[in-house]
Amino acid sequence: MFDLDRSDELALVVETARKLAETELTPHLREAERARGVSPELRAAWDEVGLASLELPEACDGAGLGCLARVLVNEELAAGDAGATLALDPYGPAMTTLLEVGGMAALGQGLEAVRGGAGRALFVAAQDARIELRPDSIDVDAPWVCAEEARAVVVLHGTEALLIDRALTFEAVRGAGLRAAGAAHLLVRGAPIAGRWSSARGAARALARARLYYASLLLGVMRAACEFSTGYAQQRVAFGKPIGHHQALAFLITDMRISLDAARLVVHEAAWRVDRGLPCSVEAASAWAECIEASRQIGPAGVQILGGHGFMADYPVEKHMREARALGLLCGGFDASVETAGRALVESPAPLALGVEGAL
Amino acid sequence: MEFAVDARTRELVEQARELGEKEYRPAGLEADRRGGPIPVGDPFFDRCLARGEGRTRWPGPQARREAASPKRSVVATLLVAEELAYWDRGVINATPGPGLPETNVLAMGTDAQKERFLGSFVEPDRPRWACFAMTEPGAGSDAAAIRTHARKDGDGYILNGAKCFIGAASRSDWILVQATLDPSQGRAAQRAFFVERDTPGLGSFHVERKMGLKAYESTSFTLADVRVPATHMLGGEARYESSAGFKTAMKTFNAGRPIIASNAVGMARSALDEAIRFARDHDLLGRDRVRDRIEAIARRVRKARLVCLEAGWLADRERPNIVQASMSKALAAQIAQEAATLAYEIVGTAAGRGDHLIEKLYRDVKAMDIVEGTGQIQRMIIARSLVGLPR
Repeated sequence: MFDLDRSDELALVVETARKLAETELTPHLREAERARGVSPELRAAWDEVGLASLELPEACDGAGLGCLARVLVNEELAAGDAGATLALDPYGPAMTTLLEVGGMAALGQGLEAVRGGAGRALFVAAQDARIELRPDSIDVDAPWVCAEEARAVVVLHGTEALLIDRALTFEAVRGAGLRAAGAAHLLVRGAPIAGRWSSARGAARALARARLYYASLLLGVMRAACEFSTGYAQQRVAFGKPIGHHQALAFLITDMRISLDAARLVVHEAAWRVDRGLPCSVEAASAWAECIEASRQIGPAGVQILGGHGFMADYPVEKHMREARALGLLCGGFDASVETAGRALVESPAPLALGVEGAL
Repeated sequence: MEFAVDARTRELVEQARELGEKEYRPAGLEADRRGGPIPVGDPFFDRCLARGEGRTRWPGPQARREAASPKRSVVATLLVAEELAYWDRGVINATPGPGLPETNVLAMGTDAQKERFLGSFVEPDRPRWACFAMTEPGAGSDAAAIRTHARKDGDGYILNGAKCFIGAASRSDWILVQATLDPSQGRAAQRAFFVERDTPGLGSFHVERKMGLKAYESTSFTLADVRVPATHMLGGEARYESSAGFKTAMKTFNAGRPIIASNAVGMARSALDEAIRFARDHDLLGRDRVRDRIEAIARRVRKARLVCLEAGWLADRERPNIVQASMSKALAAQIAQEAATLAYEIVGTAAGRGDHLIEKLYRDVKAMDIVEGTGQIQRMIIARSLVGLPR
């Protein structure tokens, strides 16, 4: 029956992520942004908590947890620093893409390509790059990726997952945000395709998981923006009372929070579907679109609440606003998600009736 | 975490769907055409009674009824409320029974009050109604500002005042009237009194003409020197030595918000399905502009439903749900209005004729952002938690 409580196992990993974010990510977010990377100490702390392989099967030294675990952890980490989260997680949605489309063999090859997990695999959705695919080689031109190096690239292209581990060129760019992860123009010219797998269902699930991966990061950024600006509104006094007690701002803050909480539920429900093997493509697309829409409201509103201070880099809300907008571009962004969700929706006579097996 | 509902809940929703399609939709459309509430003697109400509706949850003085069927979870109640409202929201309020005040009477009423006022609802001989009267012409959202006055007089109270927008008031066996002993003392001085039909001084019933939700009556009435015995004060006089009277009223509101929100979700779904059906029949689904807007509404309805269920799930576990209950209400009512507005747009002048379901839904749904606390009141309640907005 409908139950939003987390299992003890999930609660524990979430708590681990939260502590790491509070003690290691939030205090250093500007340093990491300037350095375009995370410190060796932080990386060591990350390695110790073992959050990298959360959703990989236990046979591959993963924790065997699901998509829901990943989205819960991602929100906690990104509430600290989304850029650092991307820098720390060596795989992003790359390995789950290989697993969904090509199964254990593909995953094994992917892990081997990053040499047992020491290196980084970068995920690129075809929607975010120009792809030229030939029978045995590939060109990729991605104007912005959140990395400046990777041992391998996993491209999700239509119903295919493609593994590339050579001829990867990263040209550093300024990056609109998330600079702690690095920012580069990825260019691949005539690279051999190291692995190529195809599955319509697998690719749809892989795209769903990738969208939920970024959606959960966006939840974290939105949460940070909400929490910071809400706290500020209770401290800052204007016209004789905290600015949050003026109804215009009180209602703005309320609407931000409603958007955030509602988007989170939608993301969790879609992730739960992924883990249950239920249809999840529409729900994940819808969740991603919902998060993007909410972030368009919350990012600028966070800055607005701080007024002139919000515009200055002394406070984190300008970073939240930039990074929320930039994150929301990935996996084809809003329009691609709306396209996925809308096309499926109009095929159904009663799209929101209680579904089979009681799924909502 | 689990987002599916169990087989029993699915069965309840399925029953609600059948009932809604067969009974609620036609009765709602008929009342809308008639322009007034379903009449007291309408066979619709006899069928309600025959189905076992219109009864109290009170088990009777010696708990003589069989052990009650397992208590329905709030989550299941919300999904049923959503499904019934999908077919007709107005008819939900029209159905007989002890209605809104029942929860208060069960929570606070003395044994004698339960027997006297709920007794006839245990196995009702005919459709019977009761109602709760808080709202006044000069006090809507600000429940502390009511003016209906109760003055102690010997072993009873004399009530004077006026109430408005009270559901089923003219057909109720009794009305639980919220009144104040002293307007200058605000909430602390408020009490609730049972006023039985035909009590001298209770009168001037006027069934309002409404924009929508016409299936049930919203009625104004006056109390002119209405005398009730002290034993008709809800809970008895002794109980009211604190500010509990007001808190009872607020508690009722709180319990009702996610239900109204779920009603709104059902109405939004109804508008959405109708919009999709119309768009399909008229080859509009190929247009990106139409499809994108339908997608946006579907997405919002989905999230509103989840927020409702979260509020209900918290209630099932007896955890605080003030913020979530208000969120569900603020969000769902707004989205339902958007859904009806879009559906109206898609159906276009075919709805503008005035005899299309969408046109009715558009009128009906507005009330969802008003009853049980307007969207603005909900935001004030949420803001008290988020930023300590003073009362």
